[in-house]
Amino acid sequence: MKRIELLSPAGDLERLKVTLLYGADAVYIGGEKYSLRANANNFSIDEIREGCSFAHKLGKRVHLTLNIVFHNEDMDGVEEYIKEVVDAGIDAFIVSDPFIISHIKNNYPNVEVHLSTQNSTSNYEAIKFFESEGVDRVVLAREVSKKEMKEIIDKVNTDIEVFIHGAMCTCFSGRCALSNYVTNRDANRGGCAQVCRFSFENEGEKDFTFATKDLNMANYIKDLIEIGVTSLKVEGRMRSLYYLATVIGTYRSIIDDYYNNTLTSEKMKIYQKRLDRVANRETSTHFFLKEADETDQYYTGRQELSNQDYLGQVIEYNKKENLIKFYERNYFEVGDTVELFTPNQDHIEFVVEELFDEELNPVDVARHPDSIYYLRLKTNKEVVEYSMIKVARRKNENKSI
Amino acid sequence: MLKVLVENAQKDNLSFDADGLILPLKDYAVESIETFSLDEIKNIRDTYTKEIFIKINKNLMNEDIEKVKSILLELEKLNITGIMFYDLAILQLKKELNLKLDLVWNQTHMVNNYKTCDYYYDKGVKYAYLGKEITLEEIIEIIKKSKITSIVEVISRPSVGFSKRKLVTNYYKDLEKKATSSLLVKEKVTGEFYDVVEDSNGTCFYLDKIVNGTSIIEELFEKDCRYIVLKEYGIDSFNELVTDTIHYIQGECKDNSYLEKYKKLGDSTNFFFKKTIYKVK
Repeated sequence: MKRIELLSPAGDLERLKVTLLYGADAVYIGGEKYSLRANANNFSIDEIREGCSFAHKLGKRVHLTLNIVFHNEDMDGVEEYIKEVVDAGIDAFIVSDPFIISHIKNNYPNVEVHLSTQNSTSNYEAIKFFESEGVDRVVLAREVSKKEMKEIIDKVNTDIEVFIHGAMCTCFSGRCALSNYVTNRDANRGGCAQVCRFSFENEGEKDFTFATKDLNMANYIKDLIEIGVTSLKVEGRMRSLYYLATVIGTYRSIIDDYYNNTLTSEKMKIYQKRLDRVANRETSTHFFLKEADETDQYYTGRQELSNQDYLGQVIEYNKKENLIKFYERNYFEVGDTVELFTPNQDHIEFVVEELFDEELNPVDVARHPDSIYYLRLKTNKEVVEYSMIKVARRKNENKSI
Repeated sequence: MLKVLVENAQKDNLSFDADGLILPLKDYAVESIETFSLDEIKNIRDTYTKEIFIKINKNLMNEDIEKVKSILLELEKLNITGIMFYDLAILQLKKELNLKLDLVWNQTHMVNNYKTCDYYYDKGVKYAYLGKEITLEEIIEIIKKSKITSIVEVISRPSVGFSKRKLVTNYYKDLEKKATSSLLVKEKVTGEFYDVVEDSNGTCFYLDKIVNGTSIIEELFEKDCRYIVLKEYGIDSFNELVTDTIHYIQGECKDNSYLEKYKKLGDSTNFFFKKTIYKVK
């Protein structure tokens, strides 16, 4: 049985490397042109080449978003760009425009084409159409339920990819131009201003809001594997390294535990807690089990929350001296209990007993974000680059975070 | 000759003067204020001899497919000019059922370039209902370069977003109040109003302002555009507007009094002369 793919977003080369190291089977990235995140740090051709090379050495894949809704002027140069990207080693394109699909399939038959969720494909007949156009995979609309997914998978031959985590559009993807009208930023060419997170006046009443909670399908990975989904996609090309490492690492553990028959409810509680701590909004499963309703939305304007759990990223580990060198991101001090987590999915909790500044002078507090500090930790686990440190419990608090 | 298509907002006062009617199909059309059952469409077809386009533009779910198949087979008997579709299932069903019905590519915000129009033309789609977020220059380029027959919405309160969610109901549930089917809300920075209208298919956002494209009709006429669309929703004395527009076109768009008269619709020309941006750095 072919294992399900875990597909991660990557807004830049570092995120690409981190998410692959943390367990993604493939990443999706945006190039400097034609992607729906025009304002992200998108990849140059050289970076695409480097990213593909890094991924392929790990036996993993890179997908490129080419999913804007094209205007006449956008067609100028797109064929040359596709060629450059193919030459750089890309494995699959994520496309919404069928003209572009046919161009790629006619000219690069060995490169996969995935139909973007921008098309909001929600039924098996529409998929059969794209199947006949040579599309290798369809990213389903986020409005499709579990029952509908299963029926689709039973009736088509195309691979099916679904979103499992991250922010949601309120409208059908591709069927919203609120950003164009309210801000003049083109939603379908990468300029979406997320107007669905604005609040609107409703005379004499509370403001009208229609923002959605985020998606979190952690408890239903087993269901998605068993109905035959090919790929599980995480949203968020503009998310932080810490967020991506945590989310991808957690889903990697859930998937591996499922296949190893070691997924228990106790483990799921730990995994869900990890995901909850990096979430900046509440989450739900939206359309998966029922029609989305009032419980899947916010009614009080923007609801982004953040915390200071993330303490830093490991640069190197001196095993002889038991010293971790890291970039500090948030305040912590000697006596705090912290958790070191690694791309190998090791989670090591320990009390900070020795902390040093960049000159290896002992200090009690790490209080300068983006500075280098050292921590003493004795462990026989492998502490590799891109391991991360987060707070588990502040010294004055009894309760674990 | 440029033809005037009309989408009415009241089924008891249809614009029979128009060159064609757009009839949104009940339960299967969205972004439309008024819809028509299959029987009502048959009755209109019996008496109205000009062109009729049927709008079936919801995002179809699996459970819709069998019903849509039977509807398409019924519509094929009715001498319908075209089916306005959003979901590609319609194009697939035309192929599978070997239907002779002509189709209109009508993916609200996506019909924006001539190459993709030609792609659909090569797949047997005869018409394209162009997106409302492109410029007049882009529209003209599509008309000039594509083999497809373009349909351009020139006067309307445009739909700007559609959700499967019941956003009005949900809002009132949160307020613990009895829901209405629509809301008029104001965006705080621009001060623009939007109608939020809910039905059994979901919730549609409409700009609460008339886009007045009377000033572009002459150029569309000269560039050999085949169809323009006028939508009734929110427009008073609509049938008079339809008749006047037909006369204006019949006079080869030379009668400036038409343009003067319909300045009363407002000065919004939407994106006809304004490009959207997407890089904000």
